[in-house]
Amino acid sequence: MSALQSPARGRAGGFADWIGAAAQRRRAVTEAFVDSFASWGYEYLATPLVEPLETVAAGVGGGLQAQLFRFMDADGSLLALVGERTVSVARVVATQLQGSPSPLRLCYAGPVLFNRAPLGGRRRETMQAGCELIGHPGLAADAECIAVAAAALERAGIAGVQIDVGHADFIPSLLDSARLDAGARERVAAALRERDLVAVEEALRGTEVGDAERELLLAFPTLRGGREILDSAGSRITDPRPRRVLADLAELWTVLDRHGITASVHLDLGAVRDWDYYTGPTFELFSADLGWPLGTGGRYDRLLAAFGAGAPATGFVLHVDRCCDALMRGAGEDPGASLVRLGYAPEQAREAVSVASRLRDAGVAVALDLEPSVPPPGEPLVEGCAHLDGGGVRWCLGGREGSGLDALLAARAGVDG
Amino acid sequence: MNGGLRIALPAGALFEDACRLLAAAGVAEIDPARLDRQLSLVTPSATVVKVRPTDVPVYVEMGACDAGIVGKDVLWESPRDCYELVDLRFGACRLVLAAPEGSPLTRGSFPRSLRAATKYPVAARRYFDSVGLAVELIKLHGSVELAPAMGLADCVVDITATGRTLVANHLVEVAEAGRSSARLISNQASLKTRSGAVNQLAAALRRSVMGEAGGASIPSAAGGWSAP
Repeated sequence: MSALQSPARGRAGGFADWIGAAAQRRRAVTEAFVDSFASWGYEYLATPLVEPLETVAAGVGGGLQAQLFRFMDADGSLLALVGERTVSVARVVATQLQGSPSPLRLCYAGPVLFNRAPLGGRRRETMQAGCELIGHPGLAADAECIAVAAAALERAGIAGVQIDVGHADFIPSLLDSARLDAGARERVAAALRERDLVAVEEALRGTEVGDAERELLLAFPTLRGGREILDSAGSRITDPRPRRVLADLAELWTVLDRHGITASVHLDLGAVRDWDYYTGPTFELFSADLGWPLGTGGRYDRLLAAFGAGAPATGFVLHVDRCCDALMRGAGEDPGASLVRLGYAPEQAREAVSVASRLRDAGVAVALDLEPSVPPPGEPLVEGCAHLDGGGVRWCLGGREGSGLDALLAARAGVDG
Repeated sequence: MNGGLRIALPAGALFEDACRLLAAAGVAEIDPARLDRQLSLVTPSATVVKVRPTDVPVYVEMGACDAGIVGKDVLWESPRDCYELVDLRFGACRLVLAAPEGSPLTRGSFPRSLRAATKYPVAARRYFDSVGLAVELIKLHGSVELAPAMGLADCVVDITATGRTLVANHLVEVAEAGRSSARLISNQASLKTRSGAVNQLAAALRRSVMGEAGGASIPSAAGGWSAP
């Protein structure tokens, strides 16, 4: 039988098994995120992996809707595997949690799925963790979400995070103040959505757009920097709506400064996000050595209305698997298995169980040998510790009553140190 | 990751022009012949890799490269999450609908059912949708011009630079479906985390192609806006 005819034991493309240190890291990062969210007062919420298609579609942009895993319910209605979890939280808020005191602070963690063509290098199942802050329309809520996201990444050990803060209304308000005709406006907006600066230029060519707007629209990838870019942009803009956005961002900066995180914040006026979904400040989190954002967020004041319970809302999602990639590339350090594999002579079987139990109570992970170690005939069992490949120690109880525990804890401290 | 940007260049027709442009713009001096023997080259200012044109957007989207040079025709077929920053003007070609001499299509008459052979199914589909024609597309991997002669398709949607291949195969251009040229693309995160370097690269290439084309309408991207 050739390799190509081997029995079916393959794995679907774009999916992954998580084994050993990678599995450990993924779980640790997820837990660090949820613990961090909880420390800011965000209540954990678990929602299903399956939702009605129309519910799921409310939360993902047009292009991604075609990539949802869909299937049919018994009554013929369409279901989908969730592609993100904010809509599920919104559904819960609009139903079971209706009438709860405002604002609501909720968080979640779980897998999301996309039916992307395999072989493209993109995962089809990923782990997402995020927060939603619902019921507060102000910039204090937006700033809190940015601060929570930054704190969660820090707690998971991801250093050097860059936070890009933009506003969903800046470019649309520029387009409106440029007084383009409807066709040209749509062409420019579509080109910006596709992140195609060449097409933006083509769409603006031959229009009557003013110099200031033209320059701002064409320079959109470079409209970033610290607090000072707001003044610099403000000096070129006269229209009240984009000026209001700049004022909002200035106020947001002040609140972020109170949170002590402006050192890692860039204001990004050219942030191109899903304008149909986001309604206010938006943000993206980057790590220096990863080609994807670690997380994204922003204000989405329209979504709850789609579930019949309109309320202002802001939130963010962190991509756990990308964060694990960033951890791998950054420090490249495994958490290191601190497991103790405990062996024992036949006459110590009872003591070994007791030693293992006391070690576990002290927070040490212990795997007890299932069979006693029998030394070669005529030789004593060697007591002592050996460091294992891949981390951890092997310890053998060596015959003397009560000899194990203290030495073992000391040996383990040596490993951890 | 210190030092320069990682730039993906397309092997094939655009390769030498891409090297020439990087040199003219003062980005990196690359001897194209050296990249015949090896696939990557580290210069003081950039790490340059040479890959199949269709692989350039893959390297850039996945963050294996910060930026890349690739034909717009490649981007039509494999849309990826990248920023398209500059039209580099070289490698210009057109996507055309062409039919055999004497075909009713050449007189502007489109039969109800039409089969078109193409290497560019995504762009062809977009074109036919935009003009409201329902067409059966047949994806081929090469020698598309042969398809009508052998009765495989009624027409072709294919790239042409000079039109000579069409003429040699007795095909007549019916309509233009798109225009392509080389583009500078960038990874979405690199544009934020290495914005200074990426925007400098974009500005340098833009200045260089504008100089050659003799006319500038885009302001310098770096003009006073970049983060330090």
